[in-house]
Amino acid sequence: MIQAAIAGLVSGGVYALLGVCVVLLYRMVGVLNLAQAAIGVFGMFVVLVCYENHWPLGLAVAIGLLTSAVLGGLLGGVMAHWFSEASLQVRSSVTIAFLISILTVGMWIFGSDPRPVPNLVGTGSLWVGGLVIPHLALVILGTALLLAGSISLLLQHTLLGVWLRALAERPTAAELLGVPAQALTVGVWAVAGAISCLAILLIAPSRSPEFPVLSLLVLPGMAAALLGLFKSFSLTILGGLGIGLIEGLASSLPAVAPYRQALWFLVMLAALLWIQRKEVWDAAR
Amino acid sequence: MLRASPWFLLALIALALLPLLLPSYWLFLLTSMLISSMVTLSVGLVSGMAGMISLGQLSFAGVGGWMVAYFNANNLPIPFVLQVLIGALVAVPLGIVIGLPALRVRGMHLAVVTFGFAAVADLFFTILNFPGGVMGKPVLRPDFLSHDRSYYWFCLFLFALLVLGVNALYRSRLGSAWLAVKHSERAAAAMGLNVAATKLWAFAMSAFIAGLSGGLLAGQVGLLSATNFSPTASLILFASAIMVGARYPAGAVLAGMMAWLVPEVLGRLHLSQNLGNLIFALGTIAALKAGGGVFEVAARQKKPTATPLFSSPATLAPTTHTPTDRVVLEVQNLCVAYGQVQALNKVSFSLKEGQVLGLVGPNGAGKSSLVDALSGFTPYQGRVQLEGRSLEGLNAAQRARAGLRRSFQQDRTITELSVQAYLEFSAGRALPKEELAWALEFAGLTALGLGLHSLNMGTRRRLEVAGILLSRPKVVLLDEPAAGLSSEESLQLARQIASIPARYGCAVILIEHDMEVVRAACSEVVVLDFGSLIEAGPTTRVLSSPRVAAAYLGEEVLA
Amino acid sequence: MRRIGLFGTFVLGIVVLGSALAQSPIKVGFIGGMSGGFIQPEPAKILKAYFDRLNAQGGIGGRKVEFYAEDDRTNPAAASQAARRLVDDIGVVALVGSASALECSVNAAYYAQKGVVSIQGTGVDPVCFNSPNISPVNTGPFTASTLMLQYAAVNLKKEKICAFFTQLPGLEPAYRQAVADFEQITGKKILIQDYSYKPGDDPTPLVLRARQAGCEATLFAGSDAFAITWMNAVKTQGLLKASQWLFLPSTYTEAFAKAMGSSANGVLVSSELEPYLGNNPILNDWRELSRQNNIPLTAFSLASYLAAQIFVDTVKTIRGEITRESVTAAFKSMRPYRTPLMGNAYTFGNAQAHRSNQSIKVLELRDGQYFLAYPGWIRLQAPQR
Repeated sequence: MIQAAIAGLVSGGVYALLGVCVVLLYRMVGVLNLAQAAIGVFGMFVVLVCYENHWPLGLAVAIGLLTSAVLGGLLGGVMAHWFSEASLQVRSSVTIAFLISILTVGMWIFGSDPRPVPNLVGTGSLWVGGLVIPHLALVILGTALLLAGSISLLLQHTLLGVWLRALAERPTAAELLGVPAQALTVGVWAVAGAISCLAILLIAPSRSPEFPVLSLLVLPGMAAALLGLFKSFSLTILGGLGIGLIEGLASSLPAVAPYRQALWFLVMLAALLWIQRKEVWDAAR
Repeated sequence: MLRASPWFLLALIALALLPLLLPSYWLFLLTSMLISSMVTLSVGLVSGMAGMISLGQLSFAGVGGWMVAYFNANNLPIPFVLQVLIGALVAVPLGIVIGLPALRVRGMHLAVVTFGFAAVADLFFTILNFPGGVMGKPVLRPDFLSHDRSYYWFCLFLFALLVLGVNALYRSRLGSAWLAVKHSERAAAAMGLNVAATKLWAFAMSAFIAGLSGGLLAGQVGLLSATNFSPTASLILFASAIMVGARYPAGAVLAGMMAWLVPEVLGRLHLSQNLGNLIFALGTIAALKAGGGVFEVAARQKKPTATPLFSSPATLAPTTHTPTDRVVLEVQNLCVAYGQVQALNKVSFSLKEGQVLGLVGPNGAGKSSLVDALSGFTPYQGRVQLEGRSLEGLNAAQRARAGLRRSFQQDRTITELSVQAYLEFSAGRALPKEELAWALEFAGLTALGLGLHSLNMGTRRRLEVAGILLSRPKVVLLDEPAAGLSSEESLQLARQIASIPARYGCAVILIEHDMEVVRAACSEVVVLDFGSLIEAGPTTRVLSSPRVAAAYLGEEVLA
Repeated sequence: MRRIGLFGTFVLGIVVLGSALAQSPIKVGFIGGMSGGFIQPEPAKILKAYFDRLNAQGGIGGRKVEFYAEDDRTNPAAASQAARRLVDDIGVVALVGSASALECSVNAAYYAQKGVVSIQGTGVDPVCFNSPNISPVNTGPFTASTLMLQYAAVNLKKEKICAFFTQLPGLEPAYRQAVADFEQITGKKILIQDYSYKPGDDPTPLVLRARQAGCEATLFAGSDAFAITWMNAVKTQGLLKASQWLFLPSTYTEAFAKAMGSSANGVLVSSELEPYLGNNPILNDWRELSRQNNIPLTAFSLASYLAAQIFVDTVKTIRGEITRESVTAAFKSMRPYRTPLMGNAYTFGNAQAHRSNQSIKVLELRDGQYFLAYPGWIRLQAPQR
């Protein structure tokens, strides 16, 4: 039971990482990106191809992260160039089209045959009191915490952070004050792309490395982001870990195990309804 | 009323005759197109009309298909036509359940919820399986539908009925209500509309249409599986609905055709089928950039049909002409607090029959809070009575229906509607020619068929007021109706407002910054500052009072 | 001059048309995954190569074979469109060697209605083995599951046997039947049968469940991609030796061997036909054909190749016109077709369901290579009384 919950930590950590990317884009550039995981998956497949052709793993990973960053940046560029004035809803609908495109192109290029997935962390594990704690779980947890911490620090204490916050809160005013809005948008997209590639790379060995399956990991990621109210990075991480733990626990109970993928939906729905319980009216006053 | 345009009839006849000319493979494609068009229509209804993003429409179709498969696998003695209908009806309650979160969750958050629902539905379809799918026991059609051609005609018949029904719905009050809710839920409620019911109706109806298409699909292909209704397919469906502008049935038909013809053409050209999805994705991005799908853009560019109105404006028979002492609206000790901030503090005043009362005060004085409280959008403490009837416990829509109507600072008219449809929707009834003519004159217009999107701001604002008056309210709250108008337009509007009680017999509270307008329209004013009422009385006296001048100092220049 | 030219063209046209009528080509169809979630380009390529070679050698009784391949896009709607196009629009006489993840369940009813037979290369969904007009060459995941479990119980003498199945649309009832068959054959009870693994899941909790229950032999039914994920979890949890891990034919791929390397020695997989990576001389023709046309070797390709062989050999027995009707009649009355590539004879006949291939070969993975774990075919045993 506890062992199963620990196994859920790996997934939870990745949901948290994806959730952080979602929150980052939502807060900074005002878009709910359904293609977030897919951007990462694309980069991961580039890593797989490089790895298959016996490139050094470090180089392969670097190229993969770069690919996701470039892809994210490209999509961010499309967004900044054509949809900078559009509403959140329109911009987010654009990401649906992005998701379809990435899925299609990805399957087209990489096919459906499985490729060997390198273990970035190795399959080693710690034994603590009879429990197996995979190194992977520790690394993912560490990455998530480090990431949330550094983003918070960046936002609070650097000029870039000030710019980003200005852009998030008053985009027009920020632009008038000389904040390079387009460049920042592209930058945020690129960074989020690279992070999600890392997240997908970490989870890929424990999931079947299939393009569409991994791309839909954005949904639990969004559930995590919701639990963080689309605002708080630390709450998002807790939310992601929580969803992972629940999933892990549920899978050890045969009665609910087949339905465990519905769990994050219920968690998300409950959270959403709770957060929005007072929102009787829409935003248009 | 079912009205069918000649184009619709012509297309219908052509579609009905086609199977006599086409080989059976094309018959299959045509039937598939009809079924795809149907499910696209359901997306158009809930997302295009009512503005709620639903990424789970195929799951509703799955429910309809599942029911038909279930009846068939268990050899239940239910006729096929009824099976399809029951399947569609079973999808309705599910649609309502999925619609419930939409009462609080909007926009992309709703999209995530519905997409999550699609994923969960997929899980259940996978676990439960489609009855008959495992044993390979296909859905059998009755004899009269067993031939592909007759089944095509059956689908065509249902689709034509749906299109007629949906068109009638869109022209009905419910259709206007969906558009209203899409634009602004507050404005819709202020017209007396039950917003929650309106939204749930949209989900229920679209689930019905989707469920119907699922049942027909079961009859067409015989065996279903969860892959027919996968979340990714729902996603592509939504994208194609955006691309064509699926709230127009013609758009839905275009989407249905593309769904089958694009792969067909790619196949014949020996091109990769992957291109199909890319075409859809790029088309969606282009549509979002253009601010609407193919048919939405086309509708916007269509020349309005200006139907002239041969009728002289009515002088609407007023009940009373002059102010009397009878109080229509009594406000006592009204307090509104947002957390620690006291927006209104024990405000009391009364509005008499036939009166135009000005409500003035500097920015942040609490004018908007007062309007929101009176119209039921903000909780408050204190008492509000309309003609002696206590309004506490009534929500915004109920207050509007009780005769307390309001306008909004921002333009909240429904741009997709024509002038006539908007007026009738706002009035809550079909209007006789005389009243329409009066409203046109009020707004300075000449044609009823114009779309609101083609009117300028000033005209829309006057139209909004006209619509409110046509609902024959007892009290009207006008929240800065002159905002954004030129000074000439403002003064004209002020004179019109001044004449409202005399011509319409209702009392008016006018919130206004422009003192010219206040002087021209109001006999008395009340002044708010920092949430408290500081002066009340005849306009000229109050506006020259030193306290009022002090309150406005640095805020507004008193003319 | 021009007139004569025109006349000449006309005459030529008549002649060509006449000769075409005399030996109009035999049209055969194929449906397989070439885009979408299940992509297998090799079957279509090997079939094309096979029929091209056949045509070069004179076709069937002087008539050429025209081969039409359609993409099912791993999408039921597209699969049904593909079938209609082949049968209605192009008018194929039969479907040969199809390799699709979902095609049977979508089209079985239609094939029965149109009276066209499908000599399925690789069938996956249960309807492939449960329809009057489809008879697959392969064993299929269900019978293969029964056989693998039987191998664990009978040949490996394991007592605590467990099975974990991937949750895919429509498969669970057929897997349950496969397990019930196993229990009937061996008289043993299965310890765990689990259907909760969904594509995209982390299998670790299930691996842990197998350990906790003390499974001595554990079958995992899923594609090679899922199997790789499964074994990764096994290795992470240090459970490689805790149970005898068994896999279905879908896992017998080079990708699985490559991904495992030498880290999963002792794992058992199965093959539905003569193991395609082996060096049995009966594979030589297929391998040579693949090499000449630069087609990678896959199990799907071998199954489609065999289906083509069966088709051609059966059609050659037809006396008279080769039409859809005569082809269907030939298969409905065909005698068992014996080939060393298969453990049983291939049959079609008039039955309502066909599963003629009821045998597998079991292979062991060692250092990234497969070796026969048992020399002969493992065939279904008669139920114990």
